[in-house]
Amino acid sequence: MSATSIGASPNRVGGIDRVTGRNEYTADIRLPGVLEARLVALDCARARIISIDASEARRVPGVRLVMTAADLPQPVPRFGPQFEDRPVIAVGETKYHGEPVAIVAAETKDAAEAAAGLVHVEYEELPAVFTLAAALDPAAPLVQEPALRPTDRLASTNVLREHRIGWGDVDAATADVVVENTYTFPMVTHFAIEPHAFMAAPDGDGIAVWSTIQHPNWLQKVLAKVLGLPLSKVRVFAPDPGGGFGGKQHAKLEPLVAFAALRTGRPVRLVLSLEESFQAARRASCEVRVRTGVNRDGALVFEDIAADYLIGAYADIADRVVGKGSYPAAGPYNVPAVRILARSVLSHTVPSTAFRGFGNPQVNWAVESNLDEAARAIGMDRLAIRLRNLAGKGDAFIPFDTPADGDWRQAVERAAELIGWDTPIPPGHGRGLAVGIKSGPTTGLSYSTVRLLGDGSVIVLAGTSDMGQGARTVFAQIATQELGAPLDWVTVVMGDTAIVPYDQQTSASRSTVLMGNSVLQACRSIQAQLAAMAARLHGLDEAHVIVDRGVVHLPDRDLSVLDVLTRGLGRLGGELTGNGEVRKEADPSHPLSGAPAFFEFNCTAVEAEVDEETGDIVIVKHVTVSDVGKALNPLQVTMQDEGAAIQGLGHTLMEHYIYDEKGRIRNLGAIDYRIPTSMDLPLELLSEAVENEDGPGPYGSKGMSEGALLCVASAVGAAVRDATGVAIRDLPLTPERVWRALRDRPTP
Amino acid sequence: MHTFAYARPTLLAEAVALLEAHGPDARLLAGGTDLVIRLRDGTARPGVVIDIKRIAEMRPSIREEAGCLVIGAGTVMTDIAADERVRRSYPALAEAAAVVGSVQIRNRATLAGNVCNASPAADTAPALLVHAARVVAVGPAGTRRIPIDGFFVRSGVTTLARAEIVTAIELPLPDRAMGAVHVRRTRRRGHDLASVTLCCGVDATGVTRIAYGSVGPRPVLAVDESGVLADPTAPGAAKEAIFERLFADASPSPRSMRASPDYRLAMLRVLGARALRIAIDRLARA
Amino acid sequence: MSESAAAFPIELTVNGHRRAIEVAVHHTLLDVLRDDLGLTGAKECCLVGECGACTVILDGRTVDSCLVLAAEADGSEITTVEGLADERLAPLQQAFLDKGAVQCGFCIPGQLLSAHALLADNPHPSLPEIQEGLAGNLCRCGCYRQITDAVLATAERAER
Repeated sequence: MSATSIGASPNRVGGIDRVTGRNEYTADIRLPGVLEARLVALDCARARIISIDASEARRVPGVRLVMTAADLPQPVPRFGPQFEDRPVIAVGETKYHGEPVAIVAAETKDAAEAAAGLVHVEYEELPAVFTLAAALDPAAPLVQEPALRPTDRLASTNVLREHRIGWGDVDAATADVVVENTYTFPMVTHFAIEPHAFMAAPDGDGIAVWSTIQHPNWLQKVLAKVLGLPLSKVRVFAPDPGGGFGGKQHAKLEPLVAFAALRTGRPVRLVLSLEESFQAARRASCEVRVRTGVNRDGALVFEDIAADYLIGAYADIADRVVGKGSYPAAGPYNVPAVRILARSVLSHTVPSTAFRGFGNPQVNWAVESNLDEAARAIGMDRLAIRLRNLAGKGDAFIPFDTPADGDWRQAVERAAELIGWDTPIPPGHGRGLAVGIKSGPTTGLSYSTVRLLGDGSVIVLAGTSDMGQGARTVFAQIATQELGAPLDWVTVVMGDTAIVPYDQQTSASRSTVLMGNSVLQACRSIQAQLAAMAARLHGLDEAHVIVDRGVVHLPDRDLSVLDVLTRGLGRLGGELTGNGEVRKEADPSHPLSGAPAFFEFNCTAVEAEVDEETGDIVIVKHVTVSDVGKALNPLQVTMQDEGAAIQGLGHTLMEHYIYDEKGRIRNLGAIDYRIPTSMDLPLELLSEAVENEDGPGPYGSKGMSEGALLCVASAVGAAVRDATGVAIRDLPLTPERVWRALRDRPTP
Repeated sequence: MHTFAYARPTLLAEAVALLEAHGPDARLLAGGTDLVIRLRDGTARPGVVIDIKRIAEMRPSIREEAGCLVIGAGTVMTDIAADERVRRSYPALAEAAAVVGSVQIRNRATLAGNVCNASPAADTAPALLVHAARVVAVGPAGTRRIPIDGFFVRSGVTTLARAEIVTAIELPLPDRAMGAVHVRRTRRRGHDLASVTLCCGVDATGVTRIAYGSVGPRPVLAVDESGVLADPTAPGAAKEAIFERLFADASPSPRSMRASPDYRLAMLRVLGARALRIAIDRLARA
Repeated sequence: MSESAAAFPIELTVNGHRRAIEVAVHHTLLDVLRDDLGLTGAKECCLVGECGACTVILDGRTVDSCLVLAAEADGSEITTVEGLADERLAPLQQAFLDKGAVQCGFCIPGQLLSAHALLADNPHPSLPEIQEGLAGNLCRCGCYRQITDAVLATAERAER
């Protein structure tokens, strides 16, 4: 096995550019004549816009445009991946703190900033809702105009959708013990170190747009529709994002910047501040009521789950998050009766969107924590109860859906072993163990093209977005493995809709499986062409030529790909091209429009020490084991799992938006929104991957990278409960919250 | 960021004259770790920014002079935390300086700036209070030495008069053994603003000084001269009673995002007790 | 003596090259490096000195360049990430690649400079010293363990 083949960990493709500072992120790209843009937003959540006076702003030297809703085509176009509910800019009303009401474009950042401060908006603050209780109140003001969903009986409420999943008969089920609790999960934000950035420039009779977007083709469609252009005249450049985590999946301000560019006839650039990024994307918060029925022998009888997700003022992809995230909420267990009611509830807050885990971490926190309580109620070990009920490979644990696709028990037992589950534990320490499950992609479409050039080097064109997860490297490794080119002779081209074939999206940990298979297909097509070439050159039957891993096997000898290629292309030279197409069609009869291509499964086990006087939690040991099928690049798998674990510790221990009573976010920016630093790591962090080569992706791989985040909170909460005797049901487990829970604990 | 006139005098008298001329329309710039943030968010809109880093009298320096350790106004936290004399005689100050922000912040942030910024949560304030530091201020009327206890009024406000510039912080060289420690509460182990700061110093005569911050408009110094706190054998109840008296001036704001008042008040007591144990131990080993 | 706000002349040595430029006094060193000198390795993120994405080395010490006015840097020596390597990568950069310390890469210029300065000051740091030394550089991808491994490996290699 060469150092660059599958299962090895060659250095990251694109790594050299990143360590030398040469890598160009969206905000690093300068176009000649570019105008700098700034947004104008109001200091409140919901307001009726009475008037906007831009006259003083327009007089600032260097200002070329001040644009509001009135300056856009009427009615102002709306967009959104689920509902076309979001206007290009606020129309008549702002619905959340930070929603832009005007955009300024000027020759310099200073001029744009000065002018933005001189746009005078007269507005009237309106009653608004920022919490579940307020949004669900029958007398609550409605976030979304009922006319946007005229046939929906819920249109007169702030409930956007109800999702009901279930099987068996929960009400008829009898269990020896029933445990019921309510859990809450906070509002948190992605906080990619790269804030969102956008740039647009007229391009002939079309437009070119640069964005930190994770889904370039999807953005291209949105822009084409909003601007009234054919797709062929909309070119989206998607430089590798500096972290995405889901917050950059869908269009946000690109349409606005595009209109500004077309209006001025100049390139226009908008780089959000970190504060504005916090106002652009977040995770849905959630309140989950769980009733778990269990028998004394540890068998789960029923799970009855009601999850209310507080989404933002525009749907973005948030309702899909609710539906898909709640779907496997009962967990990777065989549960005879399950009832899940999940609701997406609109509010006058930052639009929530996809965020690593996609609605699963919220319900996992509730259901796994409650399972621990059920275990305690029957006096059963918390590992044993999970093993007792865990779905075995092939079990239809969600009836009529993809069966359990891994030997999940292996991951659980390994995690338990690594944490020393059955070993004595120091006084004052506690242990927790939890499992997490997430559905992979339910539909998908990934085209790719691979070009084997005349000297044996390779270009891979694949529309996945590499935002740090290492997609470039994985695709290059596949090409190396199949075509024999050394890794540094492979160039991977992404992020340009004009030259890279269509990819539906980069989400749901799909890219290794879907795009990976597409690249593999393209390589295999080239192999077939090489076989035909060799057959022709050597007067053989094609059936007797096998091309495998860069070697052309003839009946009597082996030749290198380059040898066959050079002779086969002859004097005119040229190249061989292969195309891949991996398609997973929608199934309209399925609640999620399709069964998942795979599941992500993770077991996380934690040992923690709690300082009962201060509430500080120190994670002494954090073990995470994921079922990945095949680690195409083991180092990248480790990095993704550890990164996910650390990100999960963020919402577990310290992250949350703080809203004031007027719906304004008080802790915008880095000073009062805390994420883990290098000093906040577990004292020991171990990650391992279970590889049974049983995935649908290349070489038996599955998707991964979200699993290790799913159940972090559950495992840590369980460890805190174990250490202190107190179950805390609200996140984050800040020192103050822990202290308060301990202080208020009922005296025995 | 709004623009301003930028001055970088090389003589102290120039800086004073500028301050006199412009009054509150001028802001002094040392490390910039507080001011530049305010310039950017618009909470400071001075007409003139006076960069003091080229003034000879304010160059970074730590020197012994007339019975004091004199820390020049331009001295940054990194150097204070690393200085052998500070670590030996004022370890609590070194500990405090070592947790102001991150390495990058400590390489710029000055002690004088931290003091003049007068945040109730200023990490260095408690140690300065315990060690009876003095603020050396030069103004049109000459030089004053202002005891640090009484220097802080409320967030952003000190007793500096118009056109006075702090040129140094002086710490009297210890004339008796003292054990002292700086502790604080934060929301994470990584760099953070404190939700409670506390310095406890126990000296060889049995006097215990506790200074604490971020639980009211300004850092507070409270002293126990009874000897009870300093006595490792004194009963817990007696110590608690004294702590109650010493912490009576704590009035944390209910508006704070970082911590609630009841948590802060409880942590004062927890930190006080822990710091006391460490201070007694350090005194014993001194 | 007050200087005009519009065009303040400064001289800097950036990555060994002497530069004489005019800056606006209210522009930060980060602004000037990125916009005027075209050195986009230093990144814009929090702009309040919390995240370290804008870290550069100024007169031998790491600073958050978002909190330094360009005018303050007159006469200074600046090292940015672009100055760490010549034709070949510095051992530290290579270690970051070998240890898998780079995911999205956005925080990496700052991490490299903080690590570089740490090792210059303390050639044999312990793990806690590295974690504390780099605590001012946030990584949301969560590569902290790999980053500290890379710094340790570089220190060990220098020792041999």
